[in-house]
Amino acid sequence: MTRRIKIAMMASASLLLLGSCGGSEPDDNQVVDASDTLEEDFDVDLFESPEIDYHLPSPLQVASIFKKSGLEYNTGVTNSADNSGNYNDELSQHLNFGVYSADMAYCVLNEQANEGRIYLGVISTLAAEIGMEAVFANEDLMDRFELNIEDKDSIEILMIDIHERTEEYMEENDMQHQSAVHFAGAWTEGMYLGVYDYEHNGSKEGLGAQITEQMAILGNIIKGLKDPRNDGMELGWVITELENIQSTFDAFASVSAYYEDESADELTLSDEEYSSLGELIKALRSKITNG
Amino acid sequence: MKKTLTIIALFGFALVFAQTAANLTEFKENISKQKVEAKKALKPYRYDGSKVTYFNFKTYKQVKEVEIYLFNNTDYRFSFNGKSLPNDVTIKIYDEDKTNPKRILLTEVKGVKGKNLVVESKDLNATYKSKKSGASRLKRVFVDYEIPGVTGAQNKKPTMKERGAVILVMGYKN
Repeated sequence: MTRRIKIAMMASASLLLLGSCGGSEPDDNQVVDASDTLEEDFDVDLFESPEIDYHLPSPLQVASIFKKSGLEYNTGVTNSADNSGNYNDELSQHLNFGVYSADMAYCVLNEQANEGRIYLGVISTLAAEIGMEAVFANEDLMDRFELNIEDKDSIEILMIDIHERTEEYMEENDMQHQSAVHFAGAWTEGMYLGVYDYEHNGSKEGLGAQITEQMAILGNIIKGLKDPRNDGMELGWVITELENIQSTFDAFASVSAYYEDESADELTLSDEEYSSLGELIKALRSKITNG
Repeated sequence: MKKTLTIIALFGFALVFAQTAANLTEFKENISKQKVEAKKALKPYRYDGSKVTYFNFKTYKQVKEVEIYLFNNTDYRFSFNGKSLPNDVTIKIYDEDKTNPKRILLTEVKGVKGKNLVVESKDLNATYKSKKSGASRLKRVFVDYEIPGVTGAQNKKPTMKERGAVILVMGYKN
């Protein structure tokens, strides 16, 4: 089916849906409050965005921020490419697409180009499994990687291209709701790499602060996972685990104190709190990568 | 006679259907081009992603909000393209979401219709620090699109002239 026909069908569906809405309208001077219309977040009209939306950072930006915060490269910590064959169901394929995207960014930024090339291959294979083969269909991606393997900057630009292609493909094919699933995998892996380094290479203040700062994204990841269009993927356990991480974090004394003090600037967790958060991250990462 | 009328009605429906599809396709294609333009304005910052906010002008005012994270003292650039707007909208950027009555307005941009405008996080940070004593940096911002009411707009069945979008492309300093 061509894109034009699909758009026409979606347009007529949205017109029919809009026409059938019988609710009363606000006054001309009234502003529609998003908190009253949260259910509209998942409307079918492709040309009507939700009242409240968010932008999640790319895996490359997250890896870059962690690196600037003092994260060191640790050999053998990323998810082994050999595990990719174990991901046979839709959910594990989507989640680990995100995990491997984070791993690729981590390797590229730490000048581990050969590892990065392996992850590009794995990501391409998983993309084909989850209906995004077109993003990687152009063979020049691998060729460009090979050609620029010694040039970190060019490889980073290649990663940005892949991210942009993925973003566009998902938008054109009405798959944007699935990006929260990829991001849940990427976020978990990024946090895992941060926690690992924090625990094994000495507690670094900048890295600890970055782990804490990344917690800010979690609420929107959970919201994205709860999009009803993701219902078929049996995301229940992922949402439960992430909500547990969120509620554990929110209950930390340091977090409560931070939000009670309006003048507080940076949030720093105690060693026990970091440890507790780290255990939850590691457990979730293990579940995701074990498929 | 009845048969002729049915054929005419079906033909008319098919024509409207095809026209709507063509208009929407053109709308989407324009947005793709405008995104490329917005991305160019990011340089030399590194592209991080985009967020297209679609809306239909209605007879009443609407506000659509996008939350963006700012990490680790990184400098960000936000490129807004309003070339898919049939009417102007106002862009306001705050430190908190619209449920917070104490939120601080960091910048206000008018006249985005037909243009590509850039906002820098360092300017937003400077305003934030000047308006909030003791604050060191922004950790997120909320971009609000204030969409004015339009007299005579078709609220339930929007026409093409009521459809609009703002393309926001984000980049960070590497």
